[in-house]
Amino acid sequence: MLHTGLSNQASSLTFERERGVNKVLITRNVAHLVINIEEDTSRFERVLEAMRSLASSNIPVFLVKLHRSALTLAFAAKDAKKADTSLQSSGFKTLLRDDLAVVAIHADSMRDLSGVMVQIADALFSAGARLYETGDSHNSVQALIEGAKVEAAVQSLLTAFHLDDSAVSENQVDAE
Amino acid sequence: MKILIQKFGGTSVDRKEHRELAARKVIKAFEAGYSPVVVVSAIGRSGAPYATDTLVKLLKDIDPQVTPAAREMDMMMACGEIISTAVFAQTLQTYGMKSVALSGGQAGIITDKEHGNARILEIRPQYIQMLLAQGYIPVVCGFQGVTQPSNTSEHGAITTLGRGGSDTTASALGAALDAVAVEIYTDVDGIKTADPDMVKAARTLDVCTYEEVAEIAHQGAKVVHPRAAEIAMDRNIPLWVKSTFSDHPGTRITSDAPPEVKKRLTGITHTGKIVYIRLEIENAEHKPIVEREVYRMMAHANVNIFLVTFSPSALSFAVPRTLFPIARDLLDGMVVPVEHGKEDDFGKLATYYIFKFSDGLDLAYSVQRPLLKAIEGRVKIVDVPASVTENCTMVSVIASNYLRVSGVALRIFETLVKAGIAIHQTADSEMSVSCLIPESEADRAVLLLHSALFEN
Repeated sequence: MLHTGLSNQASSLTFERERGVNKVLITRNVAHLVINIEEDTSRFERVLEAMRSLASSNIPVFLVKLHRSALTLAFAAKDAKKADTSLQSSGFKTLLRDDLAVVAIHADSMRDLSGVMVQIADALFSAGARLYETGDSHNSVQALIEGAKVEAAVQSLLTAFHLDDSAVSENQVDAE
Repeated sequence: MKILIQKFGGTSVDRKEHRELAARKVIKAFEAGYSPVVVVSAIGRSGAPYATDTLVKLLKDIDPQVTPAAREMDMMMACGEIISTAVFAQTLQTYGMKSVALSGGQAGIITDKEHGNARILEIRPQYIQMLLAQGYIPVVCGFQGVTQPSNTSEHGAITTLGRGGSDTTASALGAALDAVAVEIYTDVDGIKTADPDMVKAARTLDVCTYEEVAEIAHQGAKVVHPRAAEIAMDRNIPLWVKSTFSDHPGTRITSDAPPEVKKRLTGITHTGKIVYIRLEIENAEHKPIVEREVYRMMAHANVNIFLVTFSPSALSFAVPRTLFPIARDLLDGMVVPVEHGKEDDFGKLATYYIFKFSDGLDLAYSVQRPLLKAIEGRVKIVDVPASVTENCTMVSVIASNYLRVSGVALRIFETLVKAGIAIHQTADSEMSVSCLIPESEADRAVLLLHSALFEN
């Protein structure tokens, strides 16, 4: 028998979160820079020089990727001119796009899930959104695409992962 | 009633002296006016007689060629916590405390039917509440539950919760019982800025956000499992990480952290035995199609890929080392046909891409490639060279609100490059910056990064 004052209801609380993709986060006004760096013995020194140049201009960067003959990274589009000028004055050849957006697909324990990447790639492909770069963490895959393709890409992702509009939110890249 | 959940991990209950120290923590809480609910893991870690791994081996050793059924594996694994619970309850009783050992099912923990990785659906807390009201200290098995009792199937099959299961039990019970706090006891003083076995100068953090803890745990630190942190975060239950073996106050995990905690460098971790694969795909128009087929193949074989990086003429990604043989066997000699739609200027109707690893790893390629010769008149055959960097690991700097801190990536790269540590690739999120480096350099990288970022 239960004692007076104690709950006699089965707990209706939810405990663990739903598994699988549960959120799509959009970050607009993102720039992407390809910095040419020749593949030679001083490659990493040049990578550091480029990073120093951006840090000295107080530009936070993300989606940093090392390639054989380039360093690529993203940052707030408002910093595009400053970043490009700073790097070119340091002697770097660059290729800049400042009309991009990051669509981040969130799931708990993303790295334990197989098959998410192909679903994302298929969804973006069907929306005509070219992938410029991706990043991933334990709980998200970030896809860098053209800003103009965001709406189509998001709708395609929502369909692919059986989500509704309530799963979509927006983020500011330069929010303080 | 001030209910306090106290969870003790394997090293806290592995021998009599340790169990007595753990029991004293429980009694101290009881005497301070709390109503403790204890959650325990199996006794000891890998190799110990009643550790989960040892019990699983009993089943696997029957015939190593026959994989044990998930349901029976769960029954076996659950025994570790049942033994531990009975022993701990008896320990408390020897101190004169009223204590009851409960399996997950007896504690009212109902899960879905995914054996080996079950998800808690519901907790029926009434029996525990009744025991508490009568002055008992319930000792509950971590890591396990039962499926919903049913009249048309068995009356609750034993399930296990998978990784982080005991921490998850503790947080979920905290939520169900409206506990004032959940305390996770381990063999370190709290959450550290680095693994204290590797970095003697690692310091204990007084306070962490739930997000930091989830990130630290995902990036390899064995503190509190992210599933548990997420439940506590969602229910806003104060969570503590403390040591069974000291009176250090430990680390408080909260959403109500001071501003300086919400924007800071938190710690260094390293994790994973990783292989990095690079595929050279020259044709920019066909590259997205070929890439999707690579993803599709990996998904079919349940190979999770990460650190995916695009270059104009290459695709690179990482796989766990345990899955690399599967990934290599899938890719070696794999053919991706891309139709042109119409005959091109050279009379070809399609391009067939065939994946080739370096000599010695290209068995399927060496068989398949000659077979394609018969169609070369109408189809362009293109080799996709695949190169492999083995023996990698990932070292990560946890940095709250990293996006808002300029120069963090630079400091990390500078530290590693100046020490001559190769960085194969990087990954970043709002909470961390990770570098893929040779596994042999992991200890040195963690020490150097800790020194550069936390000791000055």
